[in-house]
Amino acid sequence: MNLTADKQEIKSYLLGILDGDRKTQLEERILSAPETYEELLLVEEELIDSYVAGGLSTLERQQFETHFLITAERQKNLRFGQLLKRYVNSHLFPVAVPHVEKGAPAKKSFNLSMLPDAGRPVMVFGIAGVVLLGVALLCWLGYRRPPSRLAQQRVEPVVVVTLAPAAAPRVNVPPKGYDLKLELELANPNFRNYKSELFRENKSVQTRGELRLESKGEQYVVPLTITGEMLSPGDYEVKLCGVSESGANEFIEKYSFRVIE
Amino acid sequence: MNKDWELSQEAFDALLDWLDSDREQAALKYEKIRRSLIKIFTGRGCVEPEDLADETINRVTSKLKEIEKEFSGDRIRYFFGVANKVHLEHLRRKLPQPTPPPTNDPDRIELEFNCLERCIERLSKEHRDLLLRYHGAEGPAETEHRRALAEELGIAPNALRIRVYRIRMGLKECVEKCIERSHG
Repeated sequence: MNLTADKQEIKSYLLGILDGDRKTQLEERILSAPETYEELLLVEEELIDSYVAGGLSTLERQQFETHFLITAERQKNLRFGQLLKRYVNSHLFPVAVPHVEKGAPAKKSFNLSMLPDAGRPVMVFGIAGVVLLGVALLCWLGYRRPPSRLAQQRVEPVVVVTLAPAAAPRVNVPPKGYDLKLELELANPNFRNYKSELFRENKSVQTRGELRLESKGEQYVVPLTITGEMLSPGDYEVKLCGVSESGANEFIEKYSFRVIE
Repeated sequence: MNKDWELSQEAFDALLDWLDSDREQAALKYEKIRRSLIKIFTGRGCVEPEDLADETINRVTSKLKEIEKEFSGDRIRYFFGVANKVHLEHLRRKLPQPTPPPTNDPDRIELEFNCLERCIERLSKEHRDLLLRYHGAEGPAETEHRRALAEELGIAPNALRIRVYRIRMGLKECVEKCIERSHG
């Protein structure tokens, strides 16, 4: 059995785009050849993973949704694939970034075991060497940086408010020239990307994407900056969605606050 | 086939005898045929593949005496011919509507995710690490990443696929049981 050809053929079959004699022959093999049946089971799971990871072409994606997902069993399998992906994303590549002061360079926590090739000593030492060289170069550049450059860094004028899902704090209209930075607290940091929609008096006024998770002490937050000029007294609500690798939005939390004079 | 015909124990035993003289082997063959037929009907876009697979098996069983006299080829393949007929008849009937996708109830998703976390914690460290590392790369890097992982474990890439698949199936079963328990 040619594994790659078989895999591709089975993928087409599952998506309903294999026809004629090839389809009949494959179905006969599913019934009579145990290795083809087993391969079908493997490709089914891999197809679900590809869909969840956004790795299917437009046609494949369309076929997946209209043909592959017709049974409750496969829908259940898709749900499992999505959960597993969420788990892997949150455990293998933690996106937690230690809280840093303004103006200081961001530091990412790094663990060699996170590397795909961890366990291969040559690769690990090689990468570690490159990282050390990089750190040394950054230190050297920092040391050489003229004082005038440091003086040019300005502290951004923002009012920071931390929002928990159940709370509805009152926030003063920011002073002129200041923005409002909301830190939206999250219990389960399961996505890398987040999207928000801001409502004023139940009317959508702003949508933001590509929001990244940050850690603030032991708490995870999604920072959302709102231009001060946009804010006037009234009741506001932020709807936060997690964005999966396939681009699908999953509602996470709703946050409320009241802006006062 | 007479629509009122029901699979009796006697008829079922006769089917098993026809599939293999060894009862254990016959039962395995029966299971395999049923599972394969379900996959075939699903692949053809049938919403109720289990019903059609059972109808195919029942039809073969009900005509077993005639088949035993007339048919001498691959017995498993005989089911394929009957399945084609069953499928054609199914297409002439009114098609059942596809199952609507489950709603994205945040509470349910959280419950399922908690179950998954619990089940993953119950895996051996070896299996947990393997699962995470196997799924730790995607896109163009995925193939090379998995090839390197297989090499590290000293097994063929396909053997690695099968190993991870089995871990995943065990995990899925655990999650399903956990969800059932949670619903009381």
